[in-house]
Amino acid sequence: MNESWERALLEPLATAGTRFLQFLPNLLAAFVILAIGWPLAWALGRGVERALRVLGVDHLADRVGLNAALTRSGLKPDPCHLTGRLFYWSLLVLTVFAALGALDVAAINRATTTLLGYIPYVLTAAVILAVGALLSNYVARSTLIAAVNANVRSATALAGLARWGVLLITLAMALEQLGIAQTIVAVGFGIAFSGIILALALAFGLGARNLAKEALEHQLGLGHRRERSKDELTHL
Amino acid sequence: MREAKPISLEEQTEAQVRAIGQADILVGIPSFNNAATIGHVIKTTITGLAKHFPDRRTVLINSDGGSTDGTPDVAVTAGMDLGARLISDRQPLLHRFITPYRGTPGKSHAVRTIFEIARRLTARAGAVVDADLRSMTPEWIELLIRPILDEGFDYVAPYYLQHKYEGMLTTSLVYPLTRALYGVQVRQPIGSDFGFSGALSRHYGEKSAWESDITRFEIDLWMTTEAVASGMRVCQSFLGPKLQELKEQAADLPTLLAEVVGTVFTCMEVHQHVWFSSQGSQPTPLFGFQYEGSAEPAHVNVDRMMASFRRGLADLRPIWEVMLAPETLRALVAAQRPTASRVHIPDEVWARTVYDCAAAFHRRRLNRTHVIKAMTPLYLGRTASFVMETQGLTTREAEERTQRLGQVFEQCKPYLTDRWGPVEEVGS
Repeated sequence: MNESWERALLEPLATAGTRFLQFLPNLLAAFVILAIGWPLAWALGRGVERALRVLGVDHLADRVGLNAALTRSGLKPDPCHLTGRLFYWSLLVLTVFAALGALDVAAINRATTTLLGYIPYVLTAAVILAVGALLSNYVARSTLIAAVNANVRSATALAGLARWGVLLITLAMALEQLGIAQTIVAVGFGIAFSGIILALALAFGLGARNLAKEALEHQLGLGHRRERSKDELTHL
Repeated sequence: MREAKPISLEEQTEAQVRAIGQADILVGIPSFNNAATIGHVIKTTITGLAKHFPDRRTVLINSDGGSTDGTPDVAVTAGMDLGARLISDRQPLLHRFITPYRGTPGKSHAVRTIFEIARRLTARAGAVVDADLRSMTPEWIELLIRPILDEGFDYVAPYYLQHKYEGMLTTSLVYPLTRALYGVQVRQPIGSDFGFSGALSRHYGEKSAWESDITRFEIDLWMTTEAVASGMRVCQSFLGPKLQELKEQAADLPTLLAEVVGTVFTCMEVHQHVWFSSQGSQPTPLFGFQYEGSAEPAHVNVDRMMASFRRGLADLRPIWEVMLAPETLRALVAAQRPTASRVHIPDEVWARTVYDCAAAFHRRRLNRTHVIKAMTPLYLGRTASFVMETQGLTTREAEERTQRLGQVFEQCKPYLTDRWGPVEEVGS
């Protein structure tokens, strides 16, 4: 009786203990990889940033117009810092994958393999988001300037709407790339976009009747004489 | 420096040029759908040539950009009995021909064709006049050509009689900036009727700018800038008032600014090695009998301009913060006085604003079109300020204010060179 209890109770415990002891080096290895890899990634990231600064990449970026391009896109004009951060995050991701691999657990290995296979899609989505962010800034600025020059009262709101319109399209494209809820994203985007267009049409029709009238008169050449009689100042 | 691609002429034009061989004077009339006015311009030109240059070999060219209203037909048939209008009874040795020009329709291609014909005919002097003029007199031809033939000038810029509120973009930006940059006081650098020497037409012909947007949008401004920046002898001729056929589809102000200011700023880049170290300016000789126009009060909607400036301050602040120096922006904020319903942008603040925008354009702090279009409320604010300051003044007194503005632009030029950065080589 005692023997069977021992066999039933202690053997699994012994097996678990043995397995844990067998797994312990892997766990320790994963911790060691993380403990070394994380600070190393941080240090290398900072090192790359400092090295680029010492090499005068800041000035070079200013000369070739990279800083201006970053400013135009609404980003901080600091390419050394951006490169350093990119380096840090890339090393950190590699470290985490290495640590997970060191655990040598079949389920984690499968998940890691799946995640690694997913990386190209993530990168593509990231590129789509980055381009979308740049484009949204450009569109928002163009809209803002055009609206202010046309003396539209809610120019800032209009620019914000343009920015979010572009971002929404970008987000939908990125999510589609990642394969997340493709149908819901497509339908949701269609509804949101139609709503924006309808809202714009209503806003233009109700709030900007005079503007629409003037625009039409200008197109048809009817408003020119009236404009001249109003203002005798000429620019050229 | 890139060389210009050679321009080819139509076969018929080539044959006519070969047949004529050589000419002393050439007058070019670029046209596009100007059937209503080109007849008057051609008759006036013929009279001017006959009256003032009767013993010279002269050529009249109509360079047409594909008119659909019968302009070339009117140009062919436009003629007159010269005998009744001539002091001299000698008939001029006048050749006349019409040439379609090749390339994109636009004045720059027409003018380039005229320069090419002038080069092939080895003309000593030439003039270009618009085909839509209603106020042109035969004396314009003498005033545009005589300084070149008799005084040795290379470029004759027009000086039209204008009301103090006509040509505000020239008055508040193009003139003071051109004067401060190149040290030459050409009061109306965007005049489209001008005289040129044979040497200058050859110089223009060699420029690669013909294939760029500079000449496509503002050919007149480019030619003036090119003449002053390349050290050609420049003078002005007083032509009196300029009345043109009214065009229905005029460009809106932001587009106009983009074209004019874009050309000025691009020319600044091309000629930075010329203007960077120059200081002060010299008056430009003015030919012709100058008289003052009426100082009738003009109706100007100042409120609308002030509202635009204030809207810019409210909404465009994040963009202006990138374009302008902090102290310039602070001064512009101080320029609005809502309680007094006034905007006052002092000359120095305006000069620094223009210089900041030029530097932002050059250093590409923002998209270039954004920089220029975001200047619209700034320009309107300055215009409102100028109108309020000069409302009770005569044209002459307002002109003195403009000259003072030019001096302030000159005094502030070191600020521009600081903001601009190092001089770089840019192809022309």
